[in-house]
Amino acid sequence: MNTVDEILDYAIEQEQLAADFYEDVAQRVETAGMKKILLDFAEEEKRHKKILLAVKTGEHELTPEQEILDLKISDYLVEVKTSENISYQDALIIAMQRERAAYNLYNDMAQKVPDGKLKHILLGLAKEEAKHKLFFEAEYDERVLTDN
Amino acid sequence: MSLKDLLSPFFVWQRAFEKPYTTLRPTLDRPGAPAYRGFHINITETCVGCGSCQTICQNNAIDMVAVEAYAGRAGDSGLRPRFDYGRCCWCGLCVDICTAASLRMSNEYAWISDDPDSFHFTAGVDDKPWQDNELGYRRAEGYHLNPPKRIEMPMLSAQESLKSFAEVTLGYNEEQAKKEADRCVECGICVATCPAHMDVPDYIHSIRDGDYEKGLQLMYRTNPFPATCGRICTRRCESVCPVGILGEPVAIRWLKRFIVDQVDKKDYQRILEKPIASTGFKVAIIGAGPGGLSAAYYLRQQGHAVTVYEAQATGGGMLRYGVPSYRLPDAELDKDIDHITSIGVEIKYNSRIGKDVMFESLLENYDAVFMSTGLSVPSSMRINGENHARVLSGLQILADVASDRDPGIGKKVAVIGGGNVAMDAARVSRRLGAEVTILYRRRISDMPADEEEIHECQQEGCTIVPQAIPVEIIDADNKQKVCIKWGEAKMVDDPKGGRARPVLQEDKMHTETYDCIISAIGQSSNLDYLSKELQEQLAFEWGKLTPAEYQHTSMKKVFVGGDFANRTADAISAIEDGHHAARGINRFLNPDFYTALEKQEN
Repeated sequence: MNTVDEILDYAIEQEQLAADFYEDVAQRVETAGMKKILLDFAEEEKRHKKILLAVKTGEHELTPEQEILDLKISDYLVEVKTSENISYQDALIIAMQRERAAYNLYNDMAQKVPDGKLKHILLGLAKEEAKHKLFFEAEYDERVLTDN
Repeated sequence: MSLKDLLSPFFVWQRAFEKPYTTLRPTLDRPGAPAYRGFHINITETCVGCGSCQTICQNNAIDMVAVEAYAGRAGDSGLRPRFDYGRCCWCGLCVDICTAASLRMSNEYAWISDDPDSFHFTAGVDDKPWQDNELGYRRAEGYHLNPPKRIEMPMLSAQESLKSFAEVTLGYNEEQAKKEADRCVECGICVATCPAHMDVPDYIHSIRDGDYEKGLQLMYRTNPFPATCGRICTRRCESVCPVGILGEPVAIRWLKRFIVDQVDKKDYQRILEKPIASTGFKVAIIGAGPGGLSAAYYLRQQGHAVTVYEAQATGGGMLRYGVPSYRLPDAELDKDIDHITSIGVEIKYNSRIGKDVMFESLLENYDAVFMSTGLSVPSSMRINGENHARVLSGLQILADVASDRDPGIGKKVAVIGGGNVAMDAARVSRRLGAEVTILYRRRISDMPADEEEIHECQQEGCTIVPQAIPVEIIDADNKQKVCIKWGEAKMVDDPKGGRARPVLQEDKMHTETYDCIISAIGQSSNLDYLSKELQEQLAFEWGKLTPAEYQHTSMKKVFVGGDFANRTADAISAIEDGHHAARGINRFLNPDFYTALEKQEN
């Protein structure tokens, strides 16, 4: 992956894979409520994919300089395995940790390339993932950490 | 008659063309004195429509009228005072009693109209030139016609209360209760706010009259747990009491308790309503908590045979196993439950649905089923090391203490959480002799626990460390101890206007060793008694469900209520859910009667 297009293609594919992942888990969970939540998560990933497609065609610009709040909730939670009877809390942890992993990946890649367009794109992608992570962490803070 | 006499009236006309000695509308040029009691001004945004002005007016010059702009506003009657200046004597008592200090008088006194019926208006709503008048009569600062301070509840000192599990609050005596009852302005805004819509003004009035039996009757109309609610109710009523706008709200909860304390349990049967003749219908209830027993009481009153299935050995649910006896003594909870059983409600203890009795068999053998099994499973923190043997659950500790078991907490404990369970776990630990530190991820002002509980918790010597986020549980050198690693948080405002969020500061971490860590960060429901298919059919989502009208579910015979079916998760909401479901079940069992009734009403 040496060109901007290659990086963007990779990122777009990752978003699609994430959507596929949630749709796959949604097929296996036992309750309709959980299924709906996971399908909503899949939709969210598809929305991210659309944004990246727009970046590729030049209709949307990434903003690596934007400051994104990091609540650091997922950083200290134990990993959750997907299963048929995952709870909403589990689903959010999975989502937060996937976004965190993606953020770390783009950030690490950005550190390894020289300054330039590629670095700009990688840092921009990292910020996009940070935004996604904040979305799920804010939801976790609001819905799960009610008494805490 | 002379000619002069005859003509003299016509000479008057010559005056008609002279400059008059009087002035037209003379008052327009003479402003009222700065503190003159003229036409009324009402700041309608501040006014809550309590109607104290109407009540105090000696001339019946004030009517409370509906104003559409304020209809449905929380803590507001939606009414505003309308003044009739054919009756007003300008005494200013309405201004002096106004609970919100929204009412005042301008120094304007001239209102010219040809229509004598026009001299009334709704201050602040009907456009009048004096609404913004800076001068006129105002209540003197600090002056209150109604005492702003409530009568203090006699309590055990913090030192004394730590010595045992004895009730901390001691209750009003008659003189104190009457004084406090006198502060009520009987507006009824509390009635709309109370989830159970208790008739607060009237039962407080019964204290003024010294008629406690009537007070008890009024309370039982919508709440069969008055002894309990008189002690531990979340008292939304007090949060909207207009007396609390400028002073302290009327101590509604303590007055409720006072009434119950005055009536002996053995007199309940004589005083309170008895069930109507048997209808032949049978209703099963799962869970003998406040929701289940409230439904049971009102269904029994309607003549249905009611059987309550309870997994524990005694009734009360979370009121028994989650609220320590220093806040709600067992005897008081029993006073409520005993009356419910005394009218013929049968409770089958130690009967767990799904194990001792199957849910499906209830559907088969009863005409309707009401489920109210609450939130009994402690939430998990999901941090590393959480399964350490010395990490205990707050709920378990409270249940142990309620059942006279030693929870084995040791001498130095940390409690995680900021809700009432966390506060109670901390206070129980203090009573068991432990040094207590509460770690809470947000600010003290963000704690969901009752403000009073937080205060008493601190009074009893618990240390609250706010903005402390637990990140890991670590083994200690001694197996009987455990370490917790936590980090300081800084609060960051939510740009969308939500509550501020705590952000962990990774460079400010602390590790401390305790004899145990008590986790009390929330609860969820246990639905093991329902098959996955039934949970699906009932449309449970993450252990909760939203019932339809009258607490009905998507299953024909099944109604639900209580913590797992509402957002507020407190006793008074569960009690109302039970009452509401009882009305729903009654309609369900007698559809023809209600259809006929509705037709008649229409």
